[in-house]
This record gives sequence, structure tokens and C-alpha cells, in this order.
Amino acid sequence: MLILGIESATEQVGVAVGGHEGVIATFEVTRGRRHAEILTPAIEFVLRNADVDVSEIGCVAVDIGPGLFTGMRVGIAAAKAMAQALRIPMIGITSLDLLAFPSRHTDRVVVPVIDARKSEVFWAMYRQVPGGVQQVSTPTVGPVDELVADLLARSQEALLVGDGAERYRDEILDGYRCEIDAPVHPSPGALVQLAHAKALREEWVRPNEIEPIYLRAPDAQINWATREQRA
Amino acid sequence: MSTRTTTLVPDESTVVLGIETSCDETAAAIVMGGNDVVSSVVSSQIEIHADFGGVVPEIASRAHLEALNPVIARAIVEAGIDEQRIDAVACTHGPGLIGALLVGVSAAKALALAWDVPYVGVNHLEAHLYSAFLEDPSLEFPMVVLLVSGGHTMLIEMQGHGRYRLLGQTIDDAAGEAFDKVARFLDLGYPGGPAIDAEALNGDPDAIRFPRAMTDDPDNLDFSFSGLKTAVTNYVRKHPDVSSADVAASFQMAVVDVLVAKARRAAQLTGAKGIVLGGGVAANSLLREELLGACAKDGVRGFLPSRSMCTDNAAMIAAAGWYRLASDGPTDLADGAYPNLKLPLLA
Ligand SMILES: [Zn+2]
Repeated sequence: MLILGIESATEQVGVAVGGHEGVIATFEVTRGRRHAEILTPAIEFVLRNADVDVSEIGCVAVDIGPGLFTGMRVGIAAAKAMAQALRIPMIGITSLDLLAFPSRHTDRVVVPVIDARKSEVFWAMYRQVPGGVQQVSTPTVGPVDELVADLLARSQEALLVGDGAERYRDEILDGYRCEIDAPVHPSPGALVQLAHAKALREEWVRPNEIEPIYLRAPDAQINWATREQRA
Repeated sequence: MSTRTTTLVPDESTVVLGIETSCDETAAAIVMGGNDVVSSVVSSQIEIHADFGGVVPEIASRAHLEALNPVIARAIVEAGIDEQRIDAVACTHGPGLIGALLVGVSAAKALALAWDVPYVGVNHLEAHLYSAFLEDPSLEFPMVVLLVSGGHTMLIEMQGHGRYRLLGQTIDDAAGEAFDKVARFLDLGYPGGPAIDAEALNGDPDAIRFPRAMTDDPDNLDFSFSGLKTAVTNYVRKHPDVSSADVAASFQMAVVDVLVAKARRAAQLTGAKGIVLGGGVAANSLLREELLGACAKDGVRGFLPSRSMCTDNAAMIAAAGWYRLASDGPTDLADGAYPNLKLPLLA
């Protein structure tokens, strides 16, 4: 069974397709922030070049966040619509899982850190387990000094990844000695790999059961200026 | 991979799935042949936003993402058709709240890709103009459309399909916005339109003479409502014991007077065969009554789409999508959303 993976929770738009033979095609763009414009043609491109017909897709995997709200919704809306149209199940995986997974061979604690804007970051901690990584702290949103406090409290050797770690590199290193390394963005290839493992265990859901992870309440300011644009 | 459908000449049997997520309604509809509404499902977020007295963009976007798939599924089930019958997917791509628009556009393009059918990006304002055709395809051009909603107050001459001339528009607040603000000021609740409409039933529309802005020059078809809102708040502050029903009724009368007078004049100036109402404020009972009365007097046809077609819905999106598919063909899948999209006007 082939899995289509869609990932757009950060500045990156990523699409991958693969199955038991591994990832067979991926597409990633990390600049431009034109998620809605890029995504559908990217899906087309990946499928065409992998010589996969949409009818061969058996499951749609999607990055459910946390991340940039508008960007992640573009991916989730498209993924849910694809699954609904093709009448196939879905698998949702968090952006933090996708960032941590490629670092599964280290014995340090892996901390994916995603830029949450407004001087805040999303993060969680992971440790190595056979075949992958396991989340050992609840995903959190907060200012960088809270992340540093969390690292200090654990005082373990840590590997930080993600665009939040990259952006606040100096601030983090000022407060806690650790390594900050790639990957910067959640990997669509990792999404297909992780989803494949779950698919083998039939751990899939219906499109309606895909729950985005926002971690932050909506900013409830009425924007009358924006409202004037509508009819 | 199958060859993408690039040419489709829509005809009476063409089935379009319409999707609307530009503001606070999540809607999907199946329309055949551009005007036969086979199903139309609207899931309103009004209650979600009521506590805030207006639409909160981030809350709207979250709610659209949650509601859209079930709403589409229901539209297909209620239409009693197999989804294989869908020939095109049309979706509002502007104007509206950017985050909200992107949910619909992203889903619509993915559906089009999965089903290998054309995608059509639709202008929400144009779709409002088309809502009248859903209920009466025999409407004749030229006609004047009075589009009144929370975001727009426009008088448009529709000379033919896709041929619009802007005759006048608000220079400040939209009529619907004035209703929301005055309702909030009078503590009548949200949304303001229906709240004022209901309160006004118990009041005297002639109790207070509120100003009718921009009516000195009969040929000026522009509107202004911000002064009226200020006049209402000033009056109530000076007369704290005034009945809010009288204020609501007098305010509503002032708005409707101006809307009807200008629509009438627009029809005279353009030689229009009829006046069509559109937009959320078109559900206002006084406006409907007064406009029909004026049309009868002037011997032009007054057409009032049903309330469900005046407010945001996806049937009008599918209808406008059918016409756009015929005139412009499919929209590229690399297309995005346009929060400030304008109505395409004749040069
Ligand atoms: Zn509207």
C-alpha cells in the first residue's frame, strides 16, 4: 500500500510518497511561504514522477502540528480532502515527532523546537527506543527562557533540532550547553516512514478524526479592518 | 496517472460541487447546469463568534477546518448522487478572511486533483450576483443588483454574464457593519441584522429622524453609514430613556430609505429591467418590503432571492463557478486565495 505524506506546519511545504519499499519520491520547498499555491502542484509532481496514480494511494499521512496555524491548516485541509475523495484512511503525526525521528540514532535527549512566532517556541523531549524515538515530555509552547529552564531542570546531554532552535540559537546556547543541528524542518520522508509503521498496525483514523495540535488558544481580537473585506 | 481534464464545456448536465469558507459559514452545495440546486448545506459559526460580537479570524479558520469535510459529505449525500458524477469543484478564493479562504481553497484543489476534474476559483462577490439566477434563471439584463452585507454595500449594473459596472458603493462602513455596531451599542446581540430587525418590530420607525447621508444629489449613488452610527450613539447618550425599539426602528428606516432610493435611481439611470437584492442584509424584512413596493411603483421587476440564498452559501459559488468555467476555463492548481479580491468590472 502506498502512503501520501503532506507536511506544511513550518515555512516548509513537503510532500512524499512511499510504502513498504521505503520513500520513493519527495518534494520540499523551504522558502516563500506560499503553502496553498505550492502544495497541490507538489502533490501532482511527486505522484507523476513516482509514476503513482492517485488510485494507488491507500492512506494519507499528514503533519498535524504544532506549527504556523495558517500553513498547517493548508496541509491538513488538503490531506483530509484527498482522503475523503479517495475514500481512504488517514494517519496524523506531530511535527515534533517528524523532527525528532531523523535523530533516532543518538543517545542524547532529542528536543525538536519549532518557531511559534510572538517570541515563543513549541517543543517536546524525546529519547531513543528500538527503531525510533519516544516522546518523554508533553508538547509545550512558551518563551525561549522557559525552554532553557526545562533543559536545565533535566540537565541531560541534549540535541536540539528545528527552526525554533535555529532562530533562537544564541539565546538557547547562552542558557544551556547543548548541540543545535539539522534537521530544520519536519521531514515529509519521515512522515511516510512513521505512517507506514503505523499503517502496518492499522493505526489509522477517518478524516474527521484528524485533530490539529495548536497548543495555543486563538487570539480573540476582532479585526474589524479584516472583516470589512468580506461580503 | 490519468490525463488531467483541461477542457470541459459546461452544459445543463454539468455537476459542480461548490465550496464556501470565506467568513463565518462553512458551506458546500451540488448544482447542476449552473442553476439547478441539487443540495445546499450551510454550517454557521454564528454561535461560536457571538460572545465576541464579531467574527474572530483564527476561530473561524479552526471551525472551517473541522466542519468542511462533513459539510461536503452531507452535500453529496443529500444530492443523492455518486461523487463520480461531480464534473468540477468550485470554491470561493476571495474576498474574505485569508486563513478561512485557504481552508476551502486547499481542500477544493485537493478534491479536484483526487477526482481529476477541473478546479474553479470563484469571486465571492460575483457569486452573490449569481444567487438570483439560482431561483429565477429567466432574469433579464440589464439589471441592477443591490449587494448589501457585513462587508459590502454596492450598486452594480449587471449587463450580462460577467459584465458588471459599479454604480455606487459605500465610502465608509458597510450597511451590515452599521447594523452590527448599532446592535452592539443597543445591547441587542450578534449578529446585528436580525437583532435590529426583530427589535424594530416593536418600535416606531418615525420616532427619530436620523440623517440620510449623501442624498442631496440624487445622481450620486454612493453610500455612507458611519455618520448614521454616530448619530444613533449621540442621540441615545442625550436621551438615555429612549425606547431601544424606537431607536432600532428609526435607524433601520434610515438605512432602508437610502438603500431603496439609490437602487431605484440606479434602475432609472441604467434603464434596468429589474432590481435584485443580494448579501446578508438582503434578509432584512423592511428592506425587502420597501424595495418590492418601490419596484411596483416604478414598473420594474423586483427580485428578492430567498433568505437562504441572500446569506453566504455554496450554491451561489457553484453557480458562479459554472459560468466562470464556461467563460474562462479551469483555474490553475497553483492558484491561491485573494483576501482583497474585487469584482471584475467593465473598463
Ligand atoms: Zn457574502
